[in-house]
Amino acid sequence: MLGKCLSAEWMKLRRSRIWPVLWTLPAVSVLIGTFNFSVNQGVLKHEWYSLWSQAGLFYGQFFLPVLIAILCAHLCRLEHLNKNWRLLMTAPVSAAGLFWAKWIVAGTLLAFVQMLFAVLYVLAGKWAGLSSGLPPELAGWLIRGWIAALSVAALQLALSVRIRSFAAPVGIGLCAVFAGLGLYVARLGMFFPHSLLTIGMGVLSRTALSGSDLALFAAMNASYVLGFAAVAVRLVRQSGESA
Amino acid sequence: MKAVALELYKLRRKRLLPMTVLFLGVEIAWAFAAAARSMARQSGPAGWEPVLAALASMNGLFLPILTAVCVSRICDMEHKGNTWKLLYTLSVRRSGLYAAKFAAAAAVMLAACLVQTAAVAVFGISRGFGPPLPFALLARFFAGAALPTLVIIALQQWVSMAAKNQTFALALGMIGGFIGLAADFLPQGAGAFFAWAYYTGLSPVVVDYGAAAAGTGPPLFTVTDAGASLAGMAWLSAAGAILCLAGNLHVSRREV
Repeated sequence: MLGKCLSAEWMKLRRSRIWPVLWTLPAVSVLIGTFNFSVNQGVLKHEWYSLWSQAGLFYGQFFLPVLIAILCAHLCRLEHLNKNWRLLMTAPVSAAGLFWAKWIVAGTLLAFVQMLFAVLYVLAGKWAGLSSGLPPELAGWLIRGWIAALSVAALQLALSVRIRSFAAPVGIGLCAVFAGLGLYVARLGMFFPHSLLTIGMGVLSRTALSGSDLALFAAMNASYVLGFAAVAVRLVRQSGESA
Repeated sequence: MKAVALELYKLRRKRLLPMTVLFLGVEIAWAFAAAARSMARQSGPAGWEPVLAALASMNGLFLPILTAVCVSRICDMEHKGNTWKLLYTLSVRRSGLYAAKFAAAAAVMLAACLVQTAAVAVFGISRGFGPPLPFALLARFFAGAALPTLVIIALQQWVSMAAKNQTFALALGMIGGFIGLAADFLPQGAGAFFAWAYYTGLSPVVVDYGAAAAGTGPPLFTVTDAGASLAGMAWLSAAGAILCLAGNLHVSRREV
């Protein structure tokens, strides 16, 4: 059943215009971050780490959460048109299957975005003349960032299922970005999805996460995914009734 | 006027106002916190300049995105409800409808700019920055926030009405917010071609971080000459008028 939902979701994305957005936003982040790094190399002396602090900061703190919001709104867009929720609910698949299919598709696209960002980051560093080796933490940043992005995606999918408007969940997502930043500064970052993204990608602090921090990070992400999934599945069922 | 009133009436249950208030609240709180930290580090007397500079800088990120969200909400309801044909049967010209939507979006965003200006005044008075209230500075701050916003509304409305899928409009808003945030890092003269860069470009206060970066002193806040902004405002106004006209012509003449 999940397989059928997944293939339906991929089919809906076939001629979708989300692809240019998926590569444009990371590219713009890397472009401006690299430019800022190159004109401030007198101050930014830690090579790859400084480049990460410039390109990764804007990407991980602002652009990736908003990109997730736009992606999730796009994934639910077709269902909000022409009362398609009712049509969808007549299909012989469960509401949970519908949600998990969208979440898996979002996760796959976000994995692509993370890999694209990594490639652009490395190319930018080579262009800026960085000759030292890549930071060993890079893979960890990208993987943890992707894991936290899955939590944010679960939240945004729940919002997009509930709210018919395309822009409103994106606006709420942006407010959540700043709430997450505030909670991170208040040392409560482990308890909010958007600040988990900041912590996971190491954009504000290079200090490595300890074993207990990693365990807490994984547990919080799992809790958020399951919690938001439960809410979203309930909303999917209600959407079919009220659409 | 009736068309504008109807557009505002359609926004009744769209929760646009609470979202705008939430956005503004986060932005203003963040800017004031940053300004308060900056003033606490400086040894000299506190003043209006750090607050205005901080809020102008935050406007570069927040207002483009808020504008994109507002305009998208106003235009998307017609796409979602498939009501374009219905609207075009009314005894209002298509260009009039386009202008009414622009006016409605402008009303919401200008109110947001006004709230910001009022918030700065209240913050300054509560902090004892001292009478008299700098009306000229506040007026320039309002103009510096409102004018780029109107231009961005023209651009965003064109994209939101031309394309049914609002993904592009919101992605454009996001990129615009990034350009606004990074405007100070753009090469000299390059910022003139981006409306989003004018939030800091038309700010009445500029900040010099040279001494702060060298560790020799605090950032230096300077009030710019009002005349120096006139050329930028004229150029921006012309660009906004062209965008508005072009968007109106393009959307009004399209097949529905």
